[in-house]
Amino acid sequence: MDLSLLPQAIVSGVLASGLYALVSVGLALAIGVIGIVNFAHGEFFMVGAFLAYQLFVGFGFDPLLSLLFVAPALAVIGALIYLSSIRFVLRAPELNQMLLTFGIGIILQNLALLIWGGDPRTIANVPYRSLGFQVGGVSIGAVPLGSFVISLVLVAGLYWMLASTPLGRAMRAVAQNRIGAGLVGLEVDRVYLVAFALSALLAGLGGVMIGVIQSPTPTVGLGFTLKAFAIVVLAGLGNIRGILGAALTVALAESLVATLVPNGDALRNMVFFAIIFVVLVWRSRRVA
Amino acid sequence: MKRIIATLVVALFAVAMAQGVTIGVLSPLTGGAAGTGQAQKAGFELALAEINAAGGVLGQPLEIVIEDTKADAATGVAAFEKLMTEDGVEFIAGGYSSGVTLALVESFRTFQPVVSWIGGAVSGVGIDGFDGIEELLGAEPWFFHVHPWDYQNTEASTAFMASTGVKSVALLHEDSAFGGPGAIAAAGLLQDAGMSVPLVEAFKSTLTGGTGDFRATIAKAAASGADALFWIGYDSDVVPLTSQIRELKYDPQYIFGAPPGWPSEFDAAPEAQCVTGLIGYLPNLPNAEAKTFLDAYVAMHGKAPDNYMAALAYAQLWSYADAINAAGTTDQDAVIAALQNGTFRSPMGEWSFKPSVIALHQGFGSEMWNVFQFQDGVREIVWPLARATAPLASCR
Repeated sequence: MDLSLLPQAIVSGVLASGLYALVSVGLALAIGVIGIVNFAHGEFFMVGAFLAYQLFVGFGFDPLLSLLFVAPALAVIGALIYLSSIRFVLRAPELNQMLLTFGIGIILQNLALLIWGGDPRTIANVPYRSLGFQVGGVSIGAVPLGSFVISLVLVAGLYWMLASTPLGRAMRAVAQNRIGAGLVGLEVDRVYLVAFALSALLAGLGGVMIGVIQSPTPTVGLGFTLKAFAIVVLAGLGNIRGILGAALTVALAESLVATLVPNGDALRNMVFFAIIFVVLVWRSRRVA
Repeated sequence: MKRIIATLVVALFAVAMAQGVTIGVLSPLTGGAAGTGQAQKAGFELALAEINAAGGVLGQPLEIVIEDTKADAATGVAAFEKLMTEDGVEFIAGGYSSGVTLALVESFRTFQPVVSWIGGAVSGVGIDGFDGIEELLGAEPWFFHVHPWDYQNTEASTAFMASTGVKSVALLHEDSAFGGPGAIAAAGLLQDAGMSVPLVEAFKSTLTGGTGDFRATIAKAAASGADALFWIGYDSDVVPLTSQIRELKYDPQYIFGAPPGWPSEFDAAPEAQCVTGLIGYLPNLPNAEAKTFLDAYVAMHGKAPDNYMAALAYAQLWSYADAINAAGTTDQDAVIAALQNGTFRSPMGEWSFKPSVIALHQGFGSEMWNVFQFQDGVREIVWPLARATAPLASCR
């Protein structure tokens, strides 16, 4: 165990938590407001990553500029998916909902395979992708720092929207009691539509950042989807406010294990599954 | 009555002869390894078109049935059993992923078709407590392994490393059946060649559920003080790994990787500069077959192959066609003998099946490998020197 790497591990973990929070908060929104577990959430990241790639290849757009185009595009895609399929299963058994979103994920993956092929792609010219600053012997990467700041701003914006705007209050009301919200005049179906589109938009923004860090592939969302589910479970299903803390816990734990334990990077997935296991057992004992 | 029966028998025989030969192909067309599977498919399509344009097999058009394994063990076994029971094929081609291959061992033994296999490099040779593919299938007379074994890959990698003059190497590897055994073999061979290996460290590949944050692993490599970095992983790991090496100011003399392929457009990325890699086929290989293959591939698919598996698949299907034509029959023993005794052409040069450590029929060996280096957006061959198109440059 090389403790000299500890400061780097902490900084890397904290910075990674921003992106983890961003990819998780959209999933939490879908679960919390609409009550649907969206297994296609990772494919929204993938679509966001590929759109950023396409905007780079077609128009030379920097991924930061792509954010402005990818966000509305994913909102539209999310809305279309909601209108064409999700809204029909809202009262169906949960298994049907899960199968539907799982199927949507497979369709999106295979569409990406048809359009972009299976080869990993590269947004080739990102001048800041390899940029790092040394602060007191610790390296801070421009991309992790940038994605951390952007993610925090977006998640904070979402919190503010939920707490302080009529739309946010409507979402919270619908989440608490769908029938009651309808009885007092809220257009429940419209709130669901906006929530699902917003969930897809947030995933798409996360996807652009993933497209910078990694090669866009039809399965690029897989690793982040696993993390997002772990963080949502850790925060409490549908608890949007708990996402930041849960993301920080998972990211820090992973970074510390990856750095301080031999072959620790290979244990990353085990770390978050262990966290889920402990939290679920602890919660069930507390309830009992 | 006898005349009618005789006529029917002749007619049935004629129909059977006219049906031609069908080869079953297992390839990961979708899923995380789809890039490699699609490359294989493109290579098979080109070979199939050429074989049939040249008269086919036994005077009939050759056919292939491609089944998608998704690089998933259970899917791969189901796909193989479908080829055996529904399609009734007697010859199997394709192949990718050591994990899928290991899962297929018992099914292969049950049905015993002729299997010519591109992927699945994990031999198991020299690793205690682990049965690899060469150990499990190598002695079967119907099994032909086309791709070099892991120790042959490592022999080439080690010989390249030794040629650079570095004294120490940090070894990073992804943690599945592909990278783990390869890293153990590599560490031993590097030490045998006189280099120290201060770090052997596993990481979670982006292909197997990782998120591409390799900073902890890279920080360990930097702290090890090794002269060179040698990593074994997948093509989707290339961008995060090379960019984070620069971000963390890790400055090894050489960055050497052995993924199955390299991401599209990575050549133009600034992170690519000075990165070296092991590859079986490159368009600028100095042999006439490489150029012929490239021209035909571009004419059919509109771009050069990104993944050497296209060239391997092309070579594999041609070897089947040549062997069946040489045997003059689809009788399995005759085809096995023809594969065993034949010499085949390929974009990587002439090749044949020879015994390896355990296997009776091993296709390409360490001689297939080349090391290239990204130099100003071009993949220059830097090793072996006889095929080099440019001298090796240090990253420092």
